[in-house]
Amino acid sequence: MPERRDEPTATLTEPRLHLGCQSCGALLVLEPSLRTTRCPYCAAPSVVERPPRPGVPEPAFALGFALTHAAAREKVSRWLRSRSRFTRNGIRSAEPGDVHGLYVPAFLYSALAKSSFQATIGEHYQERESYTTTENGKTVTRTRTVTRTEWRPLQGELEGYVADVLVTASNGLRNEELEALEPFDFRALARYTPALVSGWVAEEPSLTRDACLEGARQEVGELMLNRLGALMPGDTHRDVSHDTRLDWESLDVCLLPVWVLPVRYAEGEEPLRVLVNGQTGEVHGKAPLSTWKVLAAVLVGILLVLGVVLYVGGGVG
Amino acid sequence: MSEAARVAACERCACELEAEDLRCPICGLATPPPERAVATRERARVVRCESCGAAVEYSVEARAPRCAYCGAVTHVEMTVDPVDQAQGWLPFTVDPKAASEALGRFLGHKAFFRPSGLAKEASLESMRPLWWPAWVFQAGVAVSWTADSDAGARRSDWAPHAGRTRLDFTNILVPASRGLKVSECDTLTPRYRFELAENEGRGPEEASVERFEATRSGARKTVLAAVERLAREHVQESGDIPGSRFRNVHVAVALSSLRTTRWALPVYVLAYRYRGNPYRVLVHGQDAELVFGETPLSKWRVLGVVVAFLAFMAALLFFTGGLS
Repeated sequence: MPERRDEPTATLTEPRLHLGCQSCGALLVLEPSLRTTRCPYCAAPSVVERPPRPGVPEPAFALGFALTHAAAREKVSRWLRSRSRFTRNGIRSAEPGDVHGLYVPAFLYSALAKSSFQATIGEHYQERESYTTTENGKTVTRTRTVTRTEWRPLQGELEGYVADVLVTASNGLRNEELEALEPFDFRALARYTPALVSGWVAEEPSLTRDACLEGARQEVGELMLNRLGALMPGDTHRDVSHDTRLDWESLDVCLLPVWVLPVRYAEGEEPLRVLVNGQTGEVHGKAPLSTWKVLAAVLVGILLVLGVVLYVGGGVG
Repeated sequence: MSEAARVAACERCACELEAEDLRCPICGLATPPPERAVATRERARVVRCESCGAAVEYSVEARAPRCAYCGAVTHVEMTVDPVDQAQGWLPFTVDPKAASEALGRFLGHKAFFRPSGLAKEASLESMRPLWWPAWVFQAGVAVSWTADSDAGARRSDWAPHAGRTRLDFTNILVPASRGLKVSECDTLTPRYRFELAENEGRGPEEASVERFEATRSGARKTVLAAVERLAREHVQESGDIPGSRFRNVHVAVALSSLRTTRWALPVYVLAYRYRGNPYRVLVHGQDAELVFGETPLSKWRVLGVVVAFLAFMAALLFFTGGLS
């Protein structure tokens, strides 16, 4: 189906799965985006095995949870209390709701990067210059040493491996959110086996490999820019640009441990979604600001400034 | 050398892999997964405990899949970072008697600042035959470098340059010893005869082994740091940078075909005492001619030289002052 190749999502269009529980034989109804389920009758944890599907790679690696759900709750409670006073009422005193441990699929990308770069390098030099100034009411000419920068073009090549580039493969976790939770500790990387996700919610990749590949290449572009910045000679540099060829690209699905906590802070409001890195405890969430609080603060600020201006103006006049 | 643990090299960078590696430590390419049965139809599988057959769930506390009934932990293929053991051993070809004689020769050697009665008065306190640990690596390295040099300089004294070079390092030794200084290891290294390599240590009975303390990832970091240092030195010394003066040398390296072997190398560490103070001397475990270490200084001779120098300076000042 060539028209399906351009679709950014891979599995959501598939029908629900109806499978038998291996433990008690009950019928398990499963969303196509999930890899695990728990039998509602006997509570046995199941991991779904599927025949290979084009465009939906099997996970190669997984990082196991290292942070307990109690620790994740505690991290979020502390994070909520440390929010700004301008956040909406109830956020700083809210308690996190049910904690869900989720294995989120991401692509782990690596490649051999060969860059041709151009940059403008600044080399400092010193010069004596004359200037006029007023001393004792007279205009005099003096000399002083000034540092100037000579800008020279530089071209070159940089070759190196890029590894550990992560891009989300789930449309439930945006790449900005994943970046906020990074870094993950790859020293604890394990080869994927169903036992690692048994009893937990694990998602199937919902974004296609091609869409994620583009994202990974963009990240590599930024990474190479950082590397080139560190490689540049001279006293300063500007206009660093590069043309990078990526050889030997590899992309493997890695399941990442993420705690998801909805925080209800007011009636009728969408709960605030807070994410916690299941390995390091890094917390990410966007606590909404209260328009009224911000407006009131701005008004108070303006009134204060006006008051000072009027007072100083009145005093002088 | 044990070849049993050899596995296929990384497909991308041709670097050597260990049997337990999940990804290449140099370039990050995943190693080929073990063959697994492919599911032919969809099914919900309950992962069973290998000991009691109950359902297994991943446990955060155990950081592994664990059976809730019997507590058995299911083995998972993880990234491992063990402290490695030596693969190649060089035998002691100098016996303790020869080492002791070498110390005698070393102490009897005349040198101006040494006390004259050193050989007679010094007493051997201990002699410890020891294998010290080292990594030996070989690798191909693509080096990208940039630097400022005076070539092509205009208003500023410096102009920027960039270039690339390819280096092949063979048999580069990186010491892993904590007990010996790097300079001591560097002095010992050239006299080792690696063609005599054996699979286990052979030497005096009391010989001890200094273990590798760094883990595998620590060893790789040390080797990579050595590659970068050598690449920088090569760029600075090879004349690749045009001009006669340079600064701000930056290098970036991409390794290929890295192969590291772990060695245990023989040395005698001797301690002798002279007038209450201890001193240390090393005798090469395969060449008794190589003896070096600490010696006491004769205070009177040092004082004599200082007094003579001061007298000379005073006389110089007196005469030059008198001339002006």
